[in-house]
Amino acid sequence: MNKLKKNFLNWEAFLLGILVMEFIVFGAKNPKFLMPRVLLASVNDFIAICFIALFVTFVMITGGIDIQAASIVGLTSIIIGVGWQDGGMNIWTAALLAIVAAAICGALSGFFIAYCGVQAMVVTLGGSFLYAGFALLVSNISATEAYQGISGFPDDFKIISKYKLFDVIPSQLLAFGILIVLAYILLHKTKYGRSIFLVGINQEAAEYSGINTRLVILSTYVLSAVSAALAGIMLTSYLGTAKSDLGANLTLNIITAVVLGGTLSTGGKGSVIGTALASLVIGILRFGLPLCFKVNTQYLDIPVGILLLVVVIGRSIISRPETAALFQKLKKES
Amino acid sequence: MKMKKVMSLVLALSMALSLTACGGSGEQAAAPAAEPEAAAPAESEAAPAEDDAAAPAETEAAAEATGADVSGKTVVFIPKVTGNAFFEAANDGAQKYAADWGITVDYQGSATAGVADQVQVINQAVASGADAICISTVDAAGVRDALLEAQEAGLAVCTWDSDAQSDARALMVSQGTPEILGQMLVDMSVDALEKRGVDPKNDEVQYVWHYSQATVTDQNSWQVAGEAIIAKDYPNWKKVADNYYSNQDAEQAVSTGAAILDAYPDIDLIICNDSTALPGQLKAAQNKGITKDDMTITGFATPMAIKEYCDAGVLYEWGLWDCGIQGALGCYLAAYMAAGNEVKVGDKISVPGIGDCEVMANDCLTEGDTTADTNNGVVLLPERVVFDESNVNDYNF
Amino acid sequence: MNYIKKLTKAREASSLLFLIALFIIVGCINTNFLAPSSIAACFNDSVVFTLLAVGMAFAIFIGEIDVSVGANLGFTASVVGSLLRDGHNWLFCFSVGILIGAVIGLINGWGVAVLNIPSLIFTLGTNGVLRGLIYVYTDGAWVENLPASFTAFASKPLIGDLTIFYTVAIISVIVIHILLTRTKKGKYFIAVGDNVNGALLVGIPTTQTKIIAYILCGIFAAVASILYASRIGFITAIAGNGYEMKAIAACVIGGISLSGGLGSVIGASIGAVIMSSVSRILVFMGFSSDYDNTITGVMLITIVVLDALMQRHAAERIRRERLRARAAGASGDKGGESHE
Repeated sequence: MNKLKKNFLNWEAFLLGILVMEFIVFGAKNPKFLMPRVLLASVNDFIAICFIALFVTFVMITGGIDIQAASIVGLTSIIIGVGWQDGGMNIWTAALLAIVAAAICGALSGFFIAYCGVQAMVVTLGGSFLYAGFALLVSNISATEAYQGISGFPDDFKIISKYKLFDVIPSQLLAFGILIVLAYILLHKTKYGRSIFLVGINQEAAEYSGINTRLVILSTYVLSAVSAALAGIMLTSYLGTAKSDLGANLTLNIITAVVLGGTLSTGGKGSVIGTALASLVIGILRFGLPLCFKVNTQYLDIPVGILLLVVVIGRSIISRPETAALFQKLKKES
Repeated sequence: MKMKKVMSLVLALSMALSLTACGGSGEQAAAPAAEPEAAAPAESEAAPAEDDAAAPAETEAAAEATGADVSGKTVVFIPKVTGNAFFEAANDGAQKYAADWGITVDYQGSATAGVADQVQVINQAVASGADAICISTVDAAGVRDALLEAQEAGLAVCTWDSDAQSDARALMVSQGTPEILGQMLVDMSVDALEKRGVDPKNDEVQYVWHYSQATVTDQNSWQVAGEAIIAKDYPNWKKVADNYYSNQDAEQAVSTGAAILDAYPDIDLIICNDSTALPGQLKAAQNKGITKDDMTITGFATPMAIKEYCDAGVLYEWGLWDCGIQGALGCYLAAYMAAGNEVKVGDKISVPGIGDCEVMANDCLTEGDTTADTNNGVVLLPERVVFDESNVNDYNF
Repeated sequence: MNYIKKLTKAREASSLLFLIALFIIVGCINTNFLAPSSIAACFNDSVVFTLLAVGMAFAIFIGEIDVSVGANLGFTASVVGSLLRDGHNWLFCFSVGILIGAVIGLINGWGVAVLNIPSLIFTLGTNGVLRGLIYVYTDGAWVENLPASFTAFASKPLIGDLTIFYTVAIISVIVIHILLTRTKKGKYFIAVGDNVNGALLVGIPTTQTKIIAYILCGIFAAVASILYASRIGFITAIAGNGYEMKAIAACVIGGISLSGGLGSVIGASIGAVIMSSVSRILVFMGFSSDYDNTITGVMLITIVVLDALMQRHAAERIRRERLRARAAGASGDKGGESHE
């Protein structure tokens, strides 16, 4: 167990190193990058990925995967909009309703995965269609056409994304911090967190040791859905518009953040801090490259992909001398 | 000379403002400016001041002296989505003219048409210290705050193709209102129907719409406008099904297109107001051996994308506007505003290589919309073009 | 052993049943759907997904996954399309395409099999790089105006209403299925996915098998991209976006287990027909496209959940059987299984 822990720390330290290196390189190239106003404002644009990745980590530790969270962002957003504008609800009631609806969506998919034994990837793929479809249907209830988006939210709703602590730190970052602490405690300091790891390592063994493994699995999908709802609320507030397709293309970024954070896609291993760092590494990279190196935004998938590959290849070669040796041998043979 | 003094005063003020903007939050900086509209020109002049401490004074003075010196300005040119024939053609046009004008057009967009992605691109443009933004918005309400912040930070903001809310930008280069474009779709349909011997006034024309998504702003607004015109002018037409969407996925456009043809063998007209749906639908028709004299397909797409189907006789006509000119014009006007020029409704701006364009009031796009006293308005260009076999070879986008 | 065989058969059979049931239900709502040409169109339109799913099946057989096939398709289609447009020799263009696909597969295979990197991470990485490369290669522009003689190929029928493409594709699938189930080397894939250590113990070159699986996956995506170019006639910068997920879904609907070692390419091709027929079915059922996503989601979930429930009972029995066998015999039993 100790060794495992040490391994995590190493990986997190490594990610932290990359993050620091990004700051140094980008900062040296273009000092404007380091201006707190610029740097901190950039966080707003990838905060949804950060929020959701934290809790998709839980899902992936159990050995599952969640590719529906992104569609729940849009569903949340449109429920808030329609609830507030057409349902005449208080904006906070609407937000609460959206969270509840998201939780139900998560629970539904979680139920199929945990209790019917269906492959998580396909259920959540189906879920991603289903919940995006729901979002569109909800937006059809509204007097506002689906393509227009609902706007004009009250100021006290906008404040949740516009507030700045000491006039510098945006509320998004604060919320991210709180979520990291919550997720960290939940995953690494509670019995529930330990059972998530156990389920991921060996579900049967976990079941025998008295854990209600199915409930644990289901709960992780509820958590990730709720985190998607929080991201949806934040995005709706930040953009000032409620649309059913918000967040529609976050999926690959979320999964990338989680796996770069050191979570094993086969389950049993992963950490909240790793995911948090990885999402920052990706977000900062996507922000810094166009700003400091004039990389066109449409090419950004390449550096992110390369980063992912270099990191995992490097890690593999360094940490496994026998793999390197095997590679050498293969090279010689061929 | 007096003008210059006023200028330098304004400049000094705006520099002070922008310094506050650097130190504190953007919102604070805006607070002293009681009327945002009146403050707009001062702030757009502050743009270079924030970028570079020393140079702007000269640039500004020079700009005033010559009237409109746009050279040296950097315009971030933002499409709704990259990798789309329409926007790529607009970028090609913009880049071509930009070289002559001496401005830098920085094409930055997201590969997915999401409003959050576009806001990120806007923020990046602001952070990069560009002088101006020229944007085709994915969602007007969603980019509003980001554009206002960009203006606060001193960037000139113009829109093209798809407008922002009129108080969140200076000028809009518009190809026309949804009504105009909806009318154009209906007109092309009517014309093509007549060409193959259908009487659109009396025959029951079975029709359907096929485009990208329910959530895309412009295509839906054209569809809604076109639908209203059909209901009014051609009550004898019959819509056989609700709109079909192919999500900008070419494979889906072809298979949905084929399914429509199979499911409704008697259909007379398919309107594809999306640049992926139109070629996909035409491909499906071609596969079934359907020609322009069997049924009518029309819509919006670039001429090059449809040329082969036109040559093969699958459709009579389709339409678009010269998006290259539109993109270029948008970038020029953005640079023009960034250079500190002031325009009023009724002013004529002469654009080298393109010609004169007149600034019109915002209510020519949206009825009842108000226009600020200065630096706000609409430029109605470019002309819309209907392509057919006679003129398709005249265009290269 | 018989159990496993039976299970595989049952899995394909159940997906075929789903397909038939689906067609009949839609046919009841709109009889036009059951016209021979319409049914044939369902199969013809699935040709790209069939090839992607069969390629994906190899990756899933060995217990891995490849989420780069969509980007692979997009990139290869852009390259092949632009070469064809510029009037190069067809054979040359196709060879380049297949070579690109094979190289992408080789890289994926190297990362997964040699470096032991979890396949999801590695292929996510190559996916990102390839997506970006499409923009670098095409500059974001569409590849248009492919030679008419090339695009005309896509609609040429061979047997009845079935196109040449689909006929050839489905015959290849059957041949591959036979190779995979009747030849010694063909069985390696399933064996590796079923139990890597067991396979290693009986002398199966697992690393090599995994690399070959990925190369095949890449080649299938490349062939799919050529057919895609021919079928569509233009290639956008987002071509193939999200197709990886559809291919995976097709495999699962076709009864392939994502944990590896179970399933057949026939199943994958049936799954592909189901997946690609959805948009057609919706048109015939007269639903507004507003319901597209909802119904696709409901269908997908219903199929996999029903399938899972149906298979569960059988699987439990098999598992118990295998546990017993494992407890009773030495690892030699496993070898026997793999070699059969």
